[in-house]
Amino acid sequence: MSVRDSENAVPLTARNLSAGYARKNILEHLDFEILHGRFTVLIGPNGCGKSTLLRALCNLMPVRDGSVLLDGCQISEFSTKEIARRVGVLAQGPVAPEGLTVQDLARQGRYPHRSLFGQWSDEDEIACRTALELTALTDLKDRAIDNLSGGQRQRAWIAMTLAQQTGILLLDEPTTYLDLAHQIEVLDLVQRLVREQQTTVVAVLHDINQAARYADHIVAMKDGRIAVQGSPEEVINKETIEAVFGVRVAIVTCPVDGAPLAIPLTGRQK
Amino acid sequence: MRKTVLLLNIGIFAVFVLSLRLGDQPIPYSQIIGVLTGDPDAAVAAQLIVLEVRLPRAILALLVGMALAVAGAIIQTVMRNPLAEPGLLGINSGGALAALILIVYFRNESAHLVPWAAFAGAFVMAAAIYGFSWRSGASPVRIILIGIGLGSMAGAGASFISAFGEIAVVQQAQVWLAGSVYNAGWDKVQVLAIWLVLPFVLTMAASRELDLLSFSEMSARSLGQRVEIARAVLILLCTMISGAAVAAAGLIGFIGLISPHVARRFVGHSHHRMVPVAALVGGFLVLTADLIGRTVMAPAQLPAGIVTAILGAPFFAFLLWERRYVRS
Repeated sequence: MSVRDSENAVPLTARNLSAGYARKNILEHLDFEILHGRFTVLIGPNGCGKSTLLRALCNLMPVRDGSVLLDGCQISEFSTKEIARRVGVLAQGPVAPEGLTVQDLARQGRYPHRSLFGQWSDEDEIACRTALELTALTDLKDRAIDNLSGGQRQRAWIAMTLAQQTGILLLDEPTTYLDLAHQIEVLDLVQRLVREQQTTVVAVLHDINQAARYADHIVAMKDGRIAVQGSPEEVINKETIEAVFGVRVAIVTCPVDGAPLAIPLTGRQK
Repeated sequence: MRKTVLLLNIGIFAVFVLSLRLGDQPIPYSQIIGVLTGDPDAAVAAQLIVLEVRLPRAILALLVGMALAVAGAIIQTVMRNPLAEPGLLGINSGGALAALILIVYFRNESAHLVPWAAFAGAFVMAAAIYGFSWRSGASPVRIILIGIGLGSMAGAGASFISAFGEIAVVQQAQVWLAGSVYNAGWDKVQVLAIWLVLPFVLTMAASRELDLLSFSEMSARSLGQRVEIARAVLILLCTMISGAAVAAAGLIGFIGLISPHVARRFVGHSHHRMVPVAALVGGFLVLTADLIGRTVMAPAQLPAGIVTAILGAPFFAFLLWERRYVRS
């Protein structure tokens, strides 16, 4: 596939998608396309279905109605390992066994590429080494995950998904519970993956302004539906933010890169 | 890894030799070597004691320890609970109950039949635990709680049989139930070895699945693992191993808990290293426990299960104490 073709490709599509837990539908008849080689960010209030959408997109939860297409085919037709070779997922607040090292964690990413009796191959080794290099963890590879800082730990989990060598990465709140420096560290890494490795990334973020500054494409969700989507300039405006989050904001232009920033109004200013 | 394995092997060898030498009738090393190398001049008594009593007993203890350790390693990972062990889940008591029924009511102590009964009991127990706890994917905590409940019921059943069964038979069964290799013979060794080969090989082949099962369920599934199937197959392997061990030596506690922890200290989490090392640790511990049990109060014989309980309970307390800061 040439670069030009791939720019127009849609690796992951949701059509008329409904999904949910127990008897409650969280997503209602949702249509959604993920653009190849772009950084798409999902924003929206708690409980609006961002995580559910991410899980439904990689077959981690059953679809009630409609369908998810992976590279043009029904995702339910793929084996679980085949999906894991094409889509990497970082769940929210993942837990590793105590004492596991960074390298051991990255190696788990090769699971979908290996058969039951397959040996550890050169290809596996290279994929792991590259993943550790990209996340700048080579020097820390023998450290236990529980002894790392929050940002390093999150990078180690990203290294695991990178070792999967999938073209698509779905990240569920990769910056939550990190301090500001570590948030930037993770987002810079994601941006680099998109720009330099042409990875397709979809991430759930809580900070609208970080979304505006890093994303190529923003999807604002409310009540299990997509309220608005488009470039940061198209989505981040007074009307949309108030409709989606119920918060009145003023919009200013970021002095550094010109992205639209939403400043919430407080108390008397309303 | 190599150093650890070497050290463990040296330890096992030393205790093994001591097991052949020590007892009511100590046998000098020269005679042991003579007997083992088939020297026709060796004393008949020494031949009988070493070949028919102490050697099968030591090998049986070794195999039982390995089995308990591997079963424990599997269950700790599958349950994602470092304090789990087959005894805790009631799998062992299920096996023991079935074996007890066979021994007391059917008067059958055949080395070939008891393992089947114990495996059947352990399997029914594991299936029941899984069946009761299944609700769109069984969660580890739910499995453990239901396992403890069912295990207590099996224990009550065993007590009932012990109380109302024929005294002579029950008394003999009680020694076995307390976790002892006292009546080891070559037939038992052979049966246990045959029972263990396939599950051991399969467990090693599944070491990667075990690695992944120790992660949160979401992570394992997102990497393409079919978590429920992997869990069910591994629990089945665990019941085969546990059932065979229970049939051979009754209820020997704590080995399944201690050995995987010690192994992880030595070689880390990767199961293709951890499981074999845990097996060596378990073999060493049961062999040692049996040697202590039959020499420390000689001529009285303390079942190995009681020795492991005396050593294991403080270890369990130590684990809890060490984990006092770990958030769940």
